[in-house]
Amino acid sequence: MSSSSIYSPPGFDFSNQLRNNFMLQKGLPLPKATSTGTTIVGCLFKDGIVLGADTRATEGPIVADKNCEKIHYITESIRCCGAGTAADTEFTTALISSNMEMHALQTGRKPRVVTAMTMLKQMLFRYQGQVGAALVLGGVDATGAHLFTIHPHGSTDKLPYVTMGSGSLAAMAVFESGWKPNMEREDALNLVKLAIAAGIFNDLGSGSNIDACIITANNTEMLRNVEMPNVRVQKERDYKFRRGTTAWKKEDVRKLIVEEQTLLIGGDEMDTS
Amino acid sequence: MNSFANRFSTNTTQLHSPEEDNFSDATWGSQAGFGNIAMGVPTFSIPDVADPTSFLQLHTDDHADPNCRIKIQHGTTTLAFRFQGGVIVAVDSRATAGSYVASGTVKKVIEINPYLLGTMAGGAADCQYWETYLGMHCRLHELRNRERISVSAASKYLSNLVYSYKGMGLSMGTMICGWDKTGPAVFYVDSDGTRLKGDLFSVGSGSTFAYGVLDQGYRWDLTDAEAQELGRRSIYAAGHRDAFSGNSCNLYHVKEDGWHFIGNYDISKLHYDGPGDVPGAPEGGYGYDIRVEGLSSANPPEAAASA
Amino acid sequence: MSIMEYNGGSVVAMVGKDCVAIASDLRLGNQALGISSNFQKIFPITDRIYLGLPGLATDVTTLRERFRFRVNMYTIKEEREIEPETFAHLVSSTLYEHRFGPYFVEPVMAGLSKTPSGGVKPFIAATDLIGCLNFAKDFVVAGTASSKLYGVAEGLWEPDLEAEDLFETISQTLLNAVDRDAYSGWGCIVHVITKDKVVTRTLKGRMD
Repeated sequence: MSSSSIYSPPGFDFSNQLRNNFMLQKGLPLPKATSTGTTIVGCLFKDGIVLGADTRATEGPIVADKNCEKIHYITESIRCCGAGTAADTEFTTALISSNMEMHALQTGRKPRVVTAMTMLKQMLFRYQGQVGAALVLGGVDATGAHLFTIHPHGSTDKLPYVTMGSGSLAAMAVFESGWKPNMEREDALNLVKLAIAAGIFNDLGSGSNIDACIITANNTEMLRNVEMPNVRVQKERDYKFRRGTTAWKKEDVRKLIVEEQTLLIGGDEMDTS
Repeated sequence: MNSFANRFSTNTTQLHSPEEDNFSDATWGSQAGFGNIAMGVPTFSIPDVADPTSFLQLHTDDHADPNCRIKIQHGTTTLAFRFQGGVIVAVDSRATAGSYVASGTVKKVIEINPYLLGTMAGGAADCQYWETYLGMHCRLHELRNRERISVSAASKYLSNLVYSYKGMGLSMGTMICGWDKTGPAVFYVDSDGTRLKGDLFSVGSGSTFAYGVLDQGYRWDLTDAEAQELGRRSIYAAGHRDAFSGNSCNLYHVKEDGWHFIGNYDISKLHYDGPGDVPGAPEGGYGYDIRVEGLSSANPPEAAASA
Repeated sequence: MSIMEYNGGSVVAMVGKDCVAIASDLRLGNQALGISSNFQKIFPITDRIYLGLPGLATDVTTLRERFRFRVNMYTIKEEREIEPETFAHLVSSTLYEHRFGPYFVEPVMAGLSKTPSGGVKPFIAATDLIGCLNFAKDFVVAGTASSKLYGVAEGLWEPDLEAEDLFETISQTLLNAVDRDAYSGWGCIVHVITKDKVVTRTLKGRMD
């Protein structure tokens, strides 16, 4: 492949490794990356699959994002929930989504869920768990509805109902007691909501709202914030500052061009014929 | 009942020393928790392990172990110097826990008695406890000998005390300042057991910055106003440059009739406006950018900038 | 001590009514020692996009040039200015390229994007050091005072502030947060971006 010299080659860049390892050896610990100490679930029902996720992203003990999206797009009828290192789930799913699109264009068919699963597990295995993505992959294809979990080291499971993330135990408890084969769409959605809610309320790493996604053979319905059980109440009072409160030393105003108008000033128009 | 409980406790060494029982509860209250003076140095319970020194070091000193449980506050600037007119003691008022500024109004000068001051650097609790305890003994000295204790004797008492706990995690770097028969005196005492007599000391993370100003401006024949200004200016320099020092400066002057509190000065106010109407202080703020405003090439005057 | 605390510094960005504001402190330190009270951490990307880079100063300088290069290449190729959303993804991808040897910065972006009707829409975003995007609707914070900024901003911010009110809110948020952080402070700078102008003010902050 030929590439222009001004662009770096694709893939990861390890040029800072030497420096960073040196700093690490000097006893400076690496800062924390955003992680999704998450509750993500998926379950099969009569016509397809329901996926669910909470919406909290954390940085150590801090809630970094109160309403993030953890159900990622793979193809129109395949979606993937991500837990673990947030940047890794975001970028692996985006990469596989792109590859799936290419695959679809090349083969001229709708790609299968196993294909996405294989691509994901092969990539994660290649990185030996260093790419910290724990995924719940679900979708419907020509061979029916499929639901997988993919662990950061590349192992996979295929099960009728699955949970992942730090809230997986709470969510699995709900599934274990409530899941039945061939559920109706509404019942499945309710069960998923219940499972995520169990994670939100019982696991400190999960919180905020519930996202869900219902995938059937001919329709995918992304239900962003289907339930918002943690809406912030109106603040008791506000702290609006009187203008001029803050003392400042220097001001610089930069006027921006809002509308541009080209005016011809006299003379003949340039001959452009 | 107690002996029964002791049989089943893991610590079978005597928890209850028999001579302690000879004192009534009244002794407790009157000594404000300092134990019994008649018994000399108060005794602390020491961890029941083979080598208490290394055990304590692991838990109290974050140089040896960054994850130790008891964090000791290290950021501070304190200074004291002796001159013709007495002793100037100046300190900052910031307390930090990691990068968090836990307080900006800490009193780092401990008023031991009307003639003695101690400064606080290192463990706040260690300094407070032992210097208050030192105050008690100074009073006892007065009662026994019908005269005030010398600064030298008081500081030696403290240094001997902390030396007996050497290696067990005490952390203090203090200056004992006062006026006695010999005149003004300053002694540096730390938890390693060091005790130094001198004219000029600064202790803490900002001490290097304070020394810079102090050394440059120090003379024995400083006037009272000049000396106070030097102390204030030195603490400002440290508060400005050192991340772990700042907020405000507390200034004391020890004279023949004992110590006097001169004032509390906000470091930021010193930077922008100076200490205000104070003898010995220059016009305007201490800050570099304030002093060179409109003069230096980095911050040129209006006319030059527009040209 | 983490690498982020080596030089210190903090940035905050907030959304207002048809305006956004981004502010940072001005300290550059070498651990406890303050070196400069005039260290720029916020850089203009386009007329209407500003990027804040708190973190390790060497990476701040490197990345600032790297982003300038990549934005220039984008502008030349596309023959148009980059939109804030696009720029956010550019930042995110650049950082994720270095997933296994990251730059120690936590970028914060603020800008106004153009709507099809000709109006402007406020945009703020932040990423962690490996490029995980966080599109917030209220405010984003980063740097050594981030934990303090979260607390103050959560209390002071309210929706639909006018540009002048937003200036007061973001200024007070930053000023009070950095006073509780040993590694941030030494003066502050605030940029308020509105449809027709960008107002930049240097604040009088505590100098200790």
